[in-house]
Amino acid sequence: MAEARITYPPPRTAWDRYNPIRLIGEVSETRYWMYLLLLPSALLICAVVIYPTLYGMQMSFREMRLNRPDLGTDWVGLKHYARMLADPIFWVSLRNTAVWVTSAIALEFLIGLVAALALNRNLPGSKVLAVLILLPYFLPNVVAGHMWALMLDPRLGVINDVLVHLGWLAGYKAWFADPSTAMAAAIVVEAWHSFPFFTLLILAGLKGIPIDLYKAADIDGAGPFAQLRLITLPMLRTVIAAAVILRVIGLVNSPDLLLILTSGGPGRSTQVLSLYAFQTAYKDFNFGYAGALSVVMFILLMGFAWAYVRLSKVNED
Amino acid sequence: MAQTRSRSRLLWDIVSYVVLIGLAIACIGPIVWTFLTSLKYEADIVTKTMHYIPPRITFDNYVKLWNQSGYPVLVINSLIVTSVTVLICLLTGTIAAYAFSRFQFRGRTQLMLGYLVVRMFPAVLMIIPLFIVMRQVGLLDSTFGLAVAYTSFLLPLFVWMLKGFFDAAPKELESAARIDGTTRIGAMFMVVIPIARNGLLATCVFVAIAAWNEFLFALMLTTSQGSRTWPVGLQLMVGEFQLPWGMLAAGGMISILPVIVLFAIVQRAMVAGLTAGAVKG
Amino acid sequence: MATLSINSIRKSFGAVEVLNNIDIQLEDGGFLVLLGPSGCGKSTLLSIIAGLETSSGGDIVIGDRNVNDVHPKDRNIAMVFQSYALYPTMSVRRNIGFGLEMRKVDAREREAAVDRAADLLQIGHLLDRKPGQLSGGQRQRVAMGRAIVRNPELFLFDEPLSNLDAKLRVEMRTEIKRLHDRLGTTTVYVTHDQVEALTLGTQVAVMKAGVIQQLADPETIYTKPANMFVAGFIGSPTMNFLRGTLEAGAGGLQLRHAGGTLAMPGLEQDASTHLGREVVAGIRPESLHGGEAAAALTGIVDVVEPTGPDTMVVVKVGEQLLTARLGPKHRPRPGETLRLGVDAASINLFDPETENRI
Repeated sequence: MAEARITYPPPRTAWDRYNPIRLIGEVSETRYWMYLLLLPSALLICAVVIYPTLYGMQMSFREMRLNRPDLGTDWVGLKHYARMLADPIFWVSLRNTAVWVTSAIALEFLIGLVAALALNRNLPGSKVLAVLILLPYFLPNVVAGHMWALMLDPRLGVINDVLVHLGWLAGYKAWFADPSTAMAAAIVVEAWHSFPFFTLLILAGLKGIPIDLYKAADIDGAGPFAQLRLITLPMLRTVIAAAVILRVIGLVNSPDLLLILTSGGPGRSTQVLSLYAFQTAYKDFNFGYAGALSVVMFILLMGFAWAYVRLSKVNED
Repeated sequence: MAQTRSRSRLLWDIVSYVVLIGLAIACIGPIVWTFLTSLKYEADIVTKTMHYIPPRITFDNYVKLWNQSGYPVLVINSLIVTSVTVLICLLTGTIAAYAFSRFQFRGRTQLMLGYLVVRMFPAVLMIIPLFIVMRQVGLLDSTFGLAVAYTSFLLPLFVWMLKGFFDAAPKELESAARIDGTTRIGAMFMVVIPIARNGLLATCVFVAIAAWNEFLFALMLTTSQGSRTWPVGLQLMVGEFQLPWGMLAAGGMISILPVIVLFAIVQRAMVAGLTAGAVKG
Repeated sequence: MATLSINSIRKSFGAVEVLNNIDIQLEDGGFLVLLGPSGCGKSTLLSIIAGLETSSGGDIVIGDRNVNDVHPKDRNIAMVFQSYALYPTMSVRRNIGFGLEMRKVDAREREAAVDRAADLLQIGHLLDRKPGQLSGGQRQRVAMGRAIVRNPELFLFDEPLSNLDAKLRVEMRTEIKRLHDRLGTTTVYVTHDQVEALTLGTQVAVMKAGVIQQLADPETIYTKPANMFVAGFIGSPTMNFLRGTLEAGAGGLQLRHAGGTLAMPGLEQDASTHLGREVVAGIRPESLHGGEAAAALTGIVDVVEPTGPDTMVVVKVGEQLLTARLGPKHRPRPGETLRLGVDAASINLFDPETENRI
C-alpha cells in the first residue's frame, strides 16, 4: 500500500475554525461532554418534577384555597396534618387504598404469571396470542373504563346478560352502584388493564433462566410444580420484586381509573387516597390539604418501597 | 417412560393453549364488544333482549361524533400534545440516555436512580404546583404547557428505555469510529444512533402512546375546548351531555385505533426494550 | 510508518493501579505483542496508545510527535477490535472507506483505495454486503481492510483472533504475519495467546498486574524467561518446576530433589551464588526425552496422554509432578517406573523466593 499514497485535503481552513459543527465536535472531546449531554434533561426534570414536588410539600404547610382568596396563603404549620388525623374520609381512603392495591396486585401477578408461563412454551401461534394479550396495557384508562362500564351496565351490560343466561345471577346487577361490589368490579377492570405488565416482565425474566436447569431437574425427577417452586420462582425473584414495586407505585399514585369508573362512590366505598387528594384539589381547590394528603401518600409509598426491598432481599443478587 | 413424558408435555401444551386463548378472548372481548356497540343504532343497544350481533349496521355514531361534538378539535389537540411531548423527549432524552449508556462518571449511578425515583412522586403532588406555576407563566390551558408537564413522567421512562437499546450496541463501535476520524458526537450520530434506530422508534412510540392516553394531567391543566385533549373531552361529554352509548363507543374506537396500529407495528422492539430496561433496572 | 515510544505510562482508577510505569521502545516496522492474562492491563495500554483512554502520567510518542493531547482521529493510527466493531448499518465498502470519508478524501480516490485493500485481503466480492451477512473470518478480513486502507503510521490489534474458531485462527494468524511482512507497518498487538505472541512478535512484552515482567524477542522469552511467571505463562504444556537444593557435583552443578539427584552438565546459567540453597529448576516438557543422557530423572508414570505427534507423560518424581513431551512411539503404562533423559543445557534456574531467574 505504500506505493499508493492517498492525498488528504488540507486539515483546516479559515471557515473550519468557526464552523459550528466542528466546534461542537471539539466540545464533545472534552472531559465534561457527558455532563453537557445530561444537562437539558436534568434541567427539565428539575423544573417539572423536583421543583413542583418541593413546592407541593411546602404548600402542605400553608393555607391555600384557590376559591377562598380571602384566607390568604399563610403558614399554618401542621394544621392540615392534624385535620387529616381527625378526618374519617382519610382513614376510609387509606383502608380502601390498601384493599385496592393488594387485591389488584395479587390478581395481576397471578394472571400475569400464568400467561407468561404459557407464552414461554413458544407454541405455534403464541406470538399472535401474545400481541392480543399484551394489548390492554396500552389502551387508555378512559376507554378501558368505559368499555367495562358498558359491559357491566345495569340495563344493557353484556356481562349481566351472560351471567343471567348461565344462571349465576338472578337479574341484572348494578355492579358499580352497589357498595359491596363496586370495589371488586373496579379491581377486575384494573387487573384486566394492567396484568400484561407482569406478563411482559416475567416473560423477560423467564428467557433469562438457563434451560439446563430444567434439564437437570428433569433428570433429578422433579415434576412441573416442583420445578416452578424450586427453579422458576426463585430465579424470577428480582424481576417479580421490580414489577411489584413499579405496579404499587402506579396503583397508589394514579387515581385515573377509579375517577372514571366510580369517582370514589357509591358513598366512599371506592375512595382511595390519590383520588381523595385529587378531588380535594380539583373540586374543592383546597391545595394545602391536597398537598398534605399527597405528602402522606408519598411517605407511605417510600416506606413501603424501602421495607419491601429489604424484605424481598433483592439486594443480595 | 418416553411415552408418559411426551404425553405429559402434550397435556401441558393443551393447557397452555386453553389459557392463552381464554386470556386473548378476555383481552380482546371488551374491544370487540365496544366496536359492535359503535355500529348499532341506539334502539338496538338498549333493548329487552340483548343483540350480540348488531341486527342492523350503521356508521351514524361515528359521523355524529365527528361532526357534532367537536371531537376533531380534541383529536388535533391530542396530536399536538403527543408530538410535542415526543419531540421534547427526543431532543433532551436521547443524549441523556446516550450519556448513561456510554460514559462512566462521578454520580452516574445516583443520577440514574434519581431518574427512576422521580416516578414515585405522586402525580397529584406535582399537578397542583404545576397548575399554579403554569398559570403564572401563562402555560395553563395550552398544548405546549401540557406537553411539558407530560415530560415529568415520560422523560425518565424514555431515558431508561432508550438506554437499554443503546447498551445493546457494542462500545467498540465508537472507538472504531473515533479512530476512523469522527468526534464523539460524530460517532454518536453516524454510528450508534443508526444502529439503535428501531429502539429509538419503539421508545418514541411508547412515549407517544402514553401521552396520547393521558387523562389526569390533562383534566387538571386544560380548562377550555381550545387545548383539551380527547380523553378529557370524552369523559366530560359522558358527564355533561349524557353521551349516548353508541357515540361513546365510537369515540373510544376512534381514539384507540392509532394505539392499536402503532402497537402492532413496533410491538416486538418495544417489548424487548421495555423488558430490557426493566430487568436491568 | 514510525517508531513508537511508550515512556513511563501510568494508569490508575482511584486507588487501583492498572498500569505501573510502562516503558517500551518499538522500532520502525516492528511488531510488538502485549501478552498477559486478562486483567493485566494490556488492553488498557493499547487504549492509551490509541487515545481512547487517557493515562495518569507518562508520554506516548509516535514518530517524533508526542500524542498525549492528540485526539484518536488525529493520531494517524488504525485499530482492529476483538469484536471487529464493523458498522452494522453500512455496507462493507463504506465500512472500509469510512476513515477516508471522514477525512474528506475525494470519492474516486477513496473507491480506488478501498478496492486495493479489498484485493489485498481477497474480499473484493463482499464489498456490497452488510457486515451481518458475513462469516466470522470474512468480518475479520473487513476489519483489517478498514485498518490498512488509510495507510496509517501504526496498527493496533486488540485480541483480533479470539472470536474465531481454532482452524480459522491459525489461518488468520498467518495472514496477519504476511500482511505485516508486506506492508511493514509498525504494529502493537494485544493477546492472551502465547502462540500468537511467539509467532507474530518481533518484541514480546509479558505483562502481569500492570507491570511488564519481561520485554524481549520471542526466542529469549521462551528459552530464558525472566521469572517463574513468564516461564509458566509461555509454552504448552507449561514448563515443569522441580524444587531442590543446588549442590556442586562431579560434572558441575547438580540438584538434589526429593526423588534423587539431577546432574546438570552443560548448564549455561551461572548459579554458583546459590550453592547450597533452595532453587527451582525450570524444565520444558520437550527437554525431557525417552533417550539416554548424562542427566536423568526417574519417576513413576501417572497419566499418559497421546496427542498424535507427541505423547504427553505425567511422571511423579518424588512428590512432584513433571510433564514430558515424548515421541509418539512412547506409550508407557501408568504405574510403570520411567527413566527420562534431561537436556540439561536448557534448564533455567529460579530463586524460589523472588521467583526471578538466577
